Parts: sequence; C-alpha cells; structure tokens
Amino acid sequence: MAFAGPVLLKRIPDDPAKRRLIRYSDYCATGGYEALKKSWTTPPEDIIKLVVESGLRGRGGAGFPCGTKWTFLPKDLHPRYLAVNFDESEPGTFKDRYLTDYDPHILLEGIAIAAYANRITTSYIFIRGEYHHEAKILEEALEEAYANGIFGKKLPGTDIVHNCYVHRGAGAYICGEETGLLEALEGKRGWPRIKPPFPAVAGAFAKPTIINNVETLACLPDIVLKGAAWFKGMGTPSSAGPKLYGISGHIHKPGVYEDELGIKMSTLIEKYAGGVKGKYRAAIPGGVSMGILGTDQWDAELDFDIGRKYNVLGLGTAGVIVMNDTTDLVLMLRNIVRFFAYESCGQCTPCREGTAWMHKMLNRIVAGFGRPRDFDMLMEVGLSMGSMPGTTICGLADGANWAVKTFLQKFPDDFKSRLKPEQVRGVTLTPAGATV
Amino acid sequence: MPTMEVDGKQVAWEGRKMILQACNDAGVELPQYCYHEGLSIVASCRICLVEIESPDPKDPAKLVKVPKLVPSCQTPAVNGMKVHSKSPKAAANQKAVMEFLLINHPLDCPVCDQAGECYLQDYSFKYGRAESRFDEDKAKKPKKDIGKHVVLYSDRCIMCTRCVRFTREISGTGELGVFGRGHKEQIDVFQGKSLDNPLSANVIDICPVGALLDKDFLFTQRVWFLKSTPSISPFSSGGENIFIEHNQGRIYRIKPRFNKDINKWWISDDIRYGWDFVHNNRLQTISAADAPEGLTWRQGLDRLERSFKKAVAEKGHGSTLLMLSPFDTTEEMFLAATWARKMDPGCALGLNLSKIDGQDQVFTNPTTGAVTYTIRADKSPNRLGAENIRAHFGGNSLMFSYLSSKISAGDIQAALVCADPIGHNDADMSNYFQPLKNLTVLSSRPDGLVKQASLSLPVCTWAEKAGVFENCQGVIQPFVQAIQPLEGSRSTGSVFWELLGLSGQYDPAAVRRMMADAGKPQYGQVTPPARQEKVELMQFAEL
Repeated sequence: MAFAGPVLLKRIPDDPAKRRLIRYSDYCATGGYEALKKSWTTPPEDIIKLVVESGLRGRGGAGFPCGTKWTFLPKDLHPRYLAVNFDESEPGTFKDRYLTDYDPHILLEGIAIAAYANRITTSYIFIRGEYHHEAKILEEALEEAYANGIFGKKLPGTDIVHNCYVHRGAGAYICGEETGLLEALEGKRGWPRIKPPFPAVAGAFAKPTIINNVETLACLPDIVLKGAAWFKGMGTPSSAGPKLYGISGHIHKPGVYEDELGIKMSTLIEKYAGGVKGKYRAAIPGGVSMGILGTDQWDAELDFDIGRKYNVLGLGTAGVIVMNDTTDLVLMLRNIVRFFAYESCGQCTPCREGTAWMHKMLNRIVAGFGRPRDFDMLMEVGLSMGSMPGTTICGLADGANWAVKTFLQKFPDDFKSRLKPEQVRGVTLTPAGATV
Repeated sequence: MPTMEVDGKQVAWEGRKMILQACNDAGVELPQYCYHEGLSIVASCRICLVEIESPDPKDPAKLVKVPKLVPSCQTPAVNGMKVHSKSPKAAANQKAVMEFLLINHPLDCPVCDQAGECYLQDYSFKYGRAESRFDEDKAKKPKKDIGKHVVLYSDRCIMCTRCVRFTREISGTGELGVFGRGHKEQIDVFQGKSLDNPLSANVIDICPVGALLDKDFLFTQRVWFLKSTPSISPFSSGGENIFIEHNQGRIYRIKPRFNKDINKWWISDDIRYGWDFVHNNRLQTISAADAPEGLTWRQGLDRLERSFKKAVAEKGHGSTLLMLSPFDTTEEMFLAATWARKMDPGCALGLNLSKIDGQDQVFTNPTTGAVTYTIRADKSPNRLGAENIRAHFGGNSLMFSYLSSKISAGDIQAALVCADPIGHNDADMSNYFQPLKNLTVLSSRPDGLVKQASLSLPVCTWAEKAGVFENCQGVIQPFVQAIQPLEGSRSTGSVFWELLGLSGQYDPAAVRRMMADAGKPQYGQVTPPARQEKVELMQFAEL
C-alpha cells in the first residue's frame, strides 16, 4: 500500500483560495477526535506499542523513533510532562506553521493521544517567538478543545488531570534544541543542558519529560485510527509514513506538500513544485544545517538514510531549498554561517568562537580578499568545531560544520576561484607545494 | 578502592567522582577552565575532553573504546577505565579550543594583572600553538566597573561562567549573568545591581584569566614577584585559611587557601581587605612621658618590670593587671601570663573585649539549601585561645565589666595592656584606664591607649610573627611569619621571652612545648605549614 493521498493535510485544500482555518466543529465533522475517543478505550500500553510498531520517527530533524522515546520514561515517576517542539526556526522550514495555520486541532488531538498514552500531567506547546499568528490560532483552538472536554479533565482510568498550555519562546534558534527548549520553558537562558540526565528522566522542572515535534504528534491520530501496518505501508522500511515537505528557492511553486517518505527530490520538485526556474545546481535537503546536495544528487531519495547515501548530515526537517545555476554559493554559505554565528548560544568554546571566525573569513572572501590558504583554514575550523562528534554540548556546531564541509567538498571551485594569490609589495606568491 | 589509568598513570579515588575530579585529587593534570570543585558542572569550555576506554558492562575484563571525545569533568570515573588525554584526537581538540579561546582575546599580557598566574598562558604553553592564524578583526568589548572591589575586562573573558555560578550558588545573590549571544556575549551585572555582596571578591580568584581583577591590587605588583606565605585570617574568629602575598616586606594582597573543613575555597571581603593595619598608622618608638627623646628596648623593659615590682611592693599581691588581646597568638599570651604571674602571683588576668559585628552571616545555596560560607560576627581570631590561657592560669581573673570599678577604686596600681591592632574599643578603654598612673601598653598603632600610657612599646602585627590561633570551633591552626617586623617593633612573644630571661630568640615552637609540658598536650602536636615560595624557576630542559 503506497501513498494514497494526503494524511496530515487532508483537511487543507490544495487551492490557496479555498484554505481557511478549520474550527473544532469542522474538524469533528471530518472525523476529527475520533482517534482520541478510540484511544481512550484502549489501554495506554497498547497505544505505545502501536506507535513503536508503526515505526514513526521524529519529524523534527534527528529522526529518533517516537515510540522508543516514550518507552524511556521511568515507570511510576510522576508528574510527567510533554513539551511540544514548535520552535520551528530552521531556515527553509515552515511545515509546522503551515499545518497549524489551517488545522491546529490535528496537533491538539495528537497531544491528547500522547498525553493519554504516557500519563502526562501537563503539555507545553513551546512555540517560536516570531509565530504570533500561530500562537493566537493555537490559543483559540485550545479554548475550543477545553470547552469540549479534550483537556482539563482526568485522563480516563487515572486521577491525572491533563492540562495543555501555549508557551511562546523569545526568538532563539537554540531553543529548538530539546534541552535548550526545556531551559527556556523553565524561564532560564536557553542554553542546552549537558546529558545525562536525559529529558526522559529529568527534563522540564527536573521531571520526566517527552519532547516531540508538531508533525510527529500530528501523525498520531491516523496511526491510532488506521493502524501500524497502514502507516508502515508508506515510505521505506527504515522511514515509514507520510511527510510534509516544505520547498522553497528557485522553483515555480514554493510551498508545503505531502507525500510519503523516500520520494526522489526530483519528483518533489517536478511533480509538486512546478519544476526548477532555470537549471538545477544544488539543493539543501532539510534546513541549512544538513549540508548541501550536489548537482549530481538531483535524484536523492528524501528519507532518513539520505545522510549515509549522499554525504549530508541527514534529512532534517525536509525543508528543501533549491538553487539554480545563477546562485552564488559563496554568498549562500556566508549567509548560512552568519546565521549560525548569530544563533550560537555561546556556551561551548568551539561553537561560540568557531562560527564567528568562519563568518569573518567568508566575509573577507566575499569582499575579494581571500587567500589560497583560506580554503583549508575554513575546512579545518569547520572540522575541529563539529566533525568530531561530541566536542560541543548540542548539535548546532555540527550543523554549522556540515554546511561548511559539504559546500567546500561539493563545490570547491566556486570558492577557489574567489581566492587570490597573496602579494607582498606587489610580488605575487604561489602557495608552497603548488605546481605551476 | 577503584582505580583507573590516566595517560599510563594509576589514579585511585573513593566514592562517586568524575574523571577530572579524581585526577585533580590524585595530582594528575588535565586541562580545565570552567570546572571548579565548589561549583556546579557546566562542561562548556570543552578543553577537558578526553578519549576513554570503558569496561564493557557485560564483560568487565574487556575495554570498549568510546568513539566520541567525552568531557572528563562530567563523565563518572569507572573502575578499570583507561583515559587518554594525550592521544592525537584529544590533543587536537585541546589545540583547537586554545586557538578558539585566543582569537578574540586581546593578548595584552604585558599590561594584564593576571599574567603569571593565568591559565590561558599556562595552557597556551602546554596545549596550544605558538602562533595565531586568526587574521580577522577581534571582537571588541569594554572594561566594566561591576562592583565595589571588582573590575571586569570583558575582552579577556573566556565565558567559563565560574563567576556567574559563584554568585548563584555560593553567595546566593545572583548579581552576575551572561548577556548577549555567541561570540558577542558578555558577563555583566543585572540592571540596577552591583556586585557588592560580602563574598564578592572571590570571583577574582576563580576567574581563570584576567577578566575579573581586584581594584585594590590593580597594577600594584607583577605576580611573579610575590611570595605567598600560608597564614590564618587575623580578622575573624572563623580561622579562615589564607595566603599572605607579599614582596620586599610589603603585603600586596590576601588570597584564600583551601581548607575543606573551615573556609573551603573562599574568604569574605573584610578578611581580604582588612590588612590595612599592617602597613598604616604604626607605632615605631618606645616612648614614655618623661623621656621625650625615646628609650631603648632594654630601658623600656626595665621600666615595665620596675612598675610591676613597685606596685607589688606598695600594695601587695593582686595590685597588678595584665590585659590579653584576642588578636595575639596563644604562645604570646602564655608567655605574657607566665611573666605576669611571676612578677605578681596574684596578678589579675583580663581580656580585651572582642569586636562583634551583629550576628554570624550564613550563606546558603538557594537551590540545595547547603551552607556555603559563614561570616563570623566575632572578629577576633584567637578569643578561644585567650580564654584557654586564662582558664589555664586560673586565679585572679578580671571580667571586663569590673575593669572600670577596680581601676577607679585604686585596687590596680600597675597595668600592662596588650592592645588590639584595630581601634574598636579605644574609647571605652581610655575611659577605664584614665585614673591609672602606671600604664604600660604594647601596641602596634600610635593611637588609643598609647596616648595616655606612661610607657608604650611598639609590637608587630600577625603578618610579622608566627604562632597559633584557635578558631571559634576550637581548631588550633598554626601560621608562619610572612614579612619582617617593622623597624623598631618586636613581636609580643619576644618581649616576654626576654622579660622571662629565656635564652636565644623567641621560638613559638618552644613555647608550645612548654605549654604541652604544662598540661596542654594539644599544643605540642601542632606542625606549622611549610613556607611556600610561589616563584618556581623553570627548568632549563623545559625551555
């Protein structure tokens, strides 16, 4: 059984003119909250088992199996919290925003199911600070859900009263990192935590906490209704289910499209996005921290194995950015590195200093003062910052490093052509070891 | 006892410890910036990353290499583990971190107070690279006045956040925070606040670089000229362990000395800055009202003896008074009392009033509630010692409250007062002793009782002598002489040593043996700390 039509976007019409906010009544009229009611009659352990069997992997970027994450919660340790990661700040990523803009209740239903399955006391929807509009939509939808008994009631079969709140971030990329998110949720500076302890053991307010992405939770209602086998029927063996792809850049129809995992990038671009404007050159598979796909990687399969197969960090958020042959990749990389330098939280030395150094170096190259040795320097700074995994507390440095590394590896000539031999008082010097 | 192998050396530890802590305790060096035993672990400087081989939980005989570098400050030590801090991977990381830390550092060591005791310098030499490859503009950051005692050079800061954690976890005042993000972030005080808690200056000690500096010490001395002598706080009954840092007979600063039972790593600001009396306002001459040209020490001591003898001859036993100072060492008080009772077996033993500032101030960690530091209300370092001496000699012991009436009634004919080095009770004392004609004062300062004394003898302060102080918990702590006595002055101990006619130089250890023989065995077991000279000459092979 393959992909037979939108799952997450089934209530959102393709035609922009027909899209409108789906209220509680519309949502219920189209089969909404059926899954929640079904789950309330199922033992919670069975729902966890179902999610494990479905092979649902986290849609936030790392692709960690969702059911497995739930099983890490220590038994009989209460209260437990659910933090919904809606700090969607990865450049090129706008899938969660699109989903919430029109269909907020699919997220709320997913939260309610996860809360029931895991005996959650409180759910916090941590929403990116800049998402004013979406925060308002969610607040309204929450009010509707409370009025209709979705939240604020005892979870069936327990004494646990489940509440759900919207918490607005203050606008920092790093708060999308799960432990940075927890710190920000507690009202502290959003500095990622050292692990152990892991959030499942001591997360928000030092209590067991699950952190799930919006899209991951939005998959739950359909898994509960239609079963694990149906879900596994979509995608590839290691990457099951439907996926929201956000696509932007040099294409005719940018937007969010849904298909199963594992479709070719070329399919996404040509079937959904209306093809490339001009000639395809490169693409970023899922947010700028994942690195870049080369000209010859046009047919890359967009699933969780993409990292291993195509020398990028991973699928990330599947926010594809397409670039045609007019793109200046040096400027592109400078912009990416500028982003990381600006968003580095400043906790670990390598990331704090390394991102800013690379940004300054790229600024110089763009200004026309690049020297031959800068290519290797850039690569080395990138490598000592993140390619040895674990040299920093969180993955931001790895993201910056992968961007720099793959740009330099896949498009070396773009950079080398910008570097000018060094001159000393008018004498042009050839780099040592170079053959003329 | 579990053991692990660190770079080929065996390291043993007890209890649950992190790799870095076990190595620190065993004296095996791993580089570290943000880690401090007294503070929480943040693992953010990333220089302590090491490669480890950990025993397989299923088969402890087999070692499994962990593919990632792990922060040794945050990774628990496991029995049988192998730690590599000098492997190519770990060394490459150390080199990279050193380079990263220095790219925005101004490298202004020639004008930096920290130079010579700076971890950036030390680790650059050991783990870094010789030259900079950073050709861009450095981030510019200001110098900030953040508190009464502390100045912050933001540009030298490496963001280890030790100071921030100190104000949150030890002083519990939380004035400091991190502001901004990425390479532009800075330490600062929160709006409307100032770093002026009573423990504020400790942040200077825990700063591994020259970012937080002491206003009092700023630009006064290069640290490599300083000699560091272990000592005991002269200004608090807590008996805080300190280092006196001095050069050419002059004190430049006081630093805390680690003692896990008493002050841990910290001292309060009043101890740190309370040594003014050593160099200011000192009495240097032996003077008497009828000898304006001054006296020699021999003449002065003769006059003292004569005054006591005269009083005994005229009024009999019990007509003399010795006032002890809780700022003197126990040995000195022992000799003084011995001499006084030799001159007049009925000599009254009095004790100067202590300086009490309100109540003990207790600092706790706001999160855990654990007590982190206590500032003692009683500022006299040896009150317990003085009371022990009075109890030991027994007999005529005069309470301070009766002093005035006894003197006015003429019961006391001659008195010898060991004055405190600080003038907290000057007004009372000069009132009480007003009627007394025959008053000898041993003092380090020319004011207070000295003005009305018939004879005054200049004595030196705690930094210029050795001995023991007994703190408020009864811990006897020895200290050694840091600087030479000020010209003209002698230690109180040596005054009575000579008066008692003992041979040779005043020797506190000999006095402690005398005390042990006299039924105070605890004083016989005291071993003074070795003098530590900070200046270590570099071996030629290391150059």
